[in-house]
This record gives sequence, C-alpha cells and structure tokens, in this order.
Amino acid sequence: MRSNRMGWGLLAPTLIILGIFGLLPFFYVIYVGFFDWNVFSAEVGRQFAGADNYRRLVFDEEFLGSVGRTLLFAFCVVTIEMILGFLLAQTLVRDFPGKAVFRTIYALPIMIAPIAVGATWKLLTIPGFGLLPYYLDKWFGIEYQLGSHSGQAFWTTVVMDVWHWTPFVTLTMLAGLTAIPKEPLEQAQVDGANRFQVLRFLTIPMMMPVIITTLFIRIMDALRVMDEVFLLTGGGPANATRYIGILIWRVVFPQTNYGYGSAMSLLVLYMTLVLAFLLFSVLSRVGKQNTSEK
Amino acid sequence: MIDHTKAVSAPVEHKGRKGFLPMETNLFDRISISVYIFVAICLLWLRFIEPLGPNVIYGALLCVLLGIFIVRKG
Repeated sequence: MRSNRMGWGLLAPTLIILGIFGLLPFFYVIYVGFFDWNVFSAEVGRQFAGADNYRRLVFDEEFLGSVGRTLLFAFCVVTIEMILGFLLAQTLVRDFPGKAVFRTIYALPIMIAPIAVGATWKLLTIPGFGLLPYYLDKWFGIEYQLGSHSGQAFWTTVVMDVWHWTPFVTLTMLAGLTAIPKEPLEQAQVDGANRFQVLRFLTIPMMMPVIITTLFIRIMDALRVMDEVFLLTGGGPANATRYIGILIWRVVFPQTNYGYGSAMSLLVLYMTLVLAFLLFSVLSRVGKQNTSEK
Repeated sequence: MIDHTKAVSAPVEHKGRKGFLPMETNLFDRISISVYIFVAICLLWLRFIEPLGPNVIYGALLCVLLGIFIVRKG
C-alpha cells in the first residue's frame, strides 16, 4: 500500500490552522446557539435552553423583517453589479487610449476599507453639507433626506455597495474574458454569427465558471454586509436598512445576548449555504445544457 | 523511470451516482442536502406545527429518517 505520510505531513499545518480558526469557532457557535447566555441577566453563566433561541427566532418579526430586507438588498446589488461588471469588462477588454490609467482609477474603490467607504458616503450624503443632497436638489428638485426617508436610505446603501464592489466583478470578468480562447469566437464570426449570438452561445458559456464564482462571492458578501451600512445609516431610519449583520451586531454587542446572536448567525450561514447550493445546481445544469446544445 | 508520455491526472475520484434526486450526487452532497432539509423542516415545525401541539423532537426524528433515506437512495 502506498504511504501518504509525506502528503499528510505537508497538509498538517493548513489543516491545524483551518481546524483552530475555522471549524472550532463554527462548532462553538452551534453549541452557544442552544444556550441562554446574557452577561447582564440575573442568571450567572450559560443556561441550557434547548431549541428556545430558534423557537423565538421563527416568531421574531424584527429578525424576519431584516432577513427579507437583506435578501432584497443582496438581490438588488448582486444583479446590478453582475450586469454592470460584465458590460464594463466587455468595454475594458478592448484597447483604447488611457486604458491602463482608467483601469487603475476604476479599481480604487476595492482597495478602500468598508468602514472608510461608509465614512466617505456619510460625508457625501449629509443634508446641508454633502454633495449628493445639494446636487439632487439643484438639478432634479429632489429633497434628499437620508435620515428620515426609508426608501432613499435603502437605495443609497444599494448604490454605495454597487460603487464599492462593481470594480471587483469587472476585474474577475475581465480575467475570465482574457483567458477564453479567441479561436472559437473568430470562427463563429467567420461563420456569420452576430455579436449577440457570439455572446450568448460562446462567451457566456465559456465564462460560466468565472460567473458562478463571482456570483457566489458577491452573494456571500452582500448577505453579511455590515460595516459600511452601519457607518452610513446605523440601520435607520427606523429599521429601513437594518440588515441581518447589523441586527446580529446589536443583539451580540450592545444587548450581550450571545446565545440568541449565535442562533441568528447560524441561520444566516444556513441561508447562504442553501442559496449557494441552489444557485450552483441551477447554473451547473444551465452550463451543461449549453454545452450539450453545442 | 517516469513515463512522461502518459497523461497525468489528479488522484481524485468522483464517486457520483444517480438516485431519486434530480442530479448526480456523491455522499457529501447527499449529507449536505439532508442537513439543509433537516434545518428547514425543524424551523418550519417550530413556526407552524409546534404551536398546535407536537414537539419539535418528532420533526427532528422524522428528518433523521428522511436523511437516512436520502443518503441511501438519493
């Protein structure tokens, strides 16, 4: 029998780090989710609560509302980012004067920390001081009130996220576009295919792995959005932008309700996993159908 | 001597199979699907069935049986 000792030895540091920093906290969160643990409660320490946290969770209007808002937010930002990113990648793949400079400037938002993005957008949107309320009022006559208009607050967080993460989508799409072989595309054009047909039957199917990967990364990020929105709106007005990340933060830190917060975190993880699984199944099937059609 | 003319492939085996689930799955896929269904049914049970009487433990037992069925026949 062939010995795998050397292989396991080389893998060991990675597995140990993964175990300590990845799996252990995960199982600890599952464990804590079954306890009532509030440092400011009358009972000292953790009290076993069984499924009580989950029982409370499924009836918690605030939690269910924030799940709905987070899903809506994720749907809006991911859809816009994927379409915009793909179109911009199609533009950037061609040569034009100043392309390198534009690409560098365009990629700058990804390098900014989310907390700085939130602070920047906060400065941009302060009524009576920020550029956005000023120009919206001057050019379109729109009264922009981030602190009191829930619709405006929601869409501002969407625009902020799109501004922050579209360059990332563009760069990954660009990497995918430059990596696909040119021969099939040229052959299709010689055979008389128009640009839309080339895009629909060749470019998109060949880029499917990149599209799926980018989609997963963006969905996971969008579902756990927290810092930039927290700095911009603080979850308000009322609870219009209280996404699940902000709600968990409120439950775990100011309210120190660790058990309930852990249960919420687990449900968000579950939601992300199921969404990723369903999307992967559907997209893989679409990819296979496209390959068999060809 | 190493034969460089032979095609090299990673020693990874995908033992997928087709059961009653609408796709080819390996053991890990079927366990994942069972866990997803377990959580979903338990949460729905807590929300809609438990207020009528039956404890969630019955739902969990049902899910375990369903999980075994999925892992074996899925």
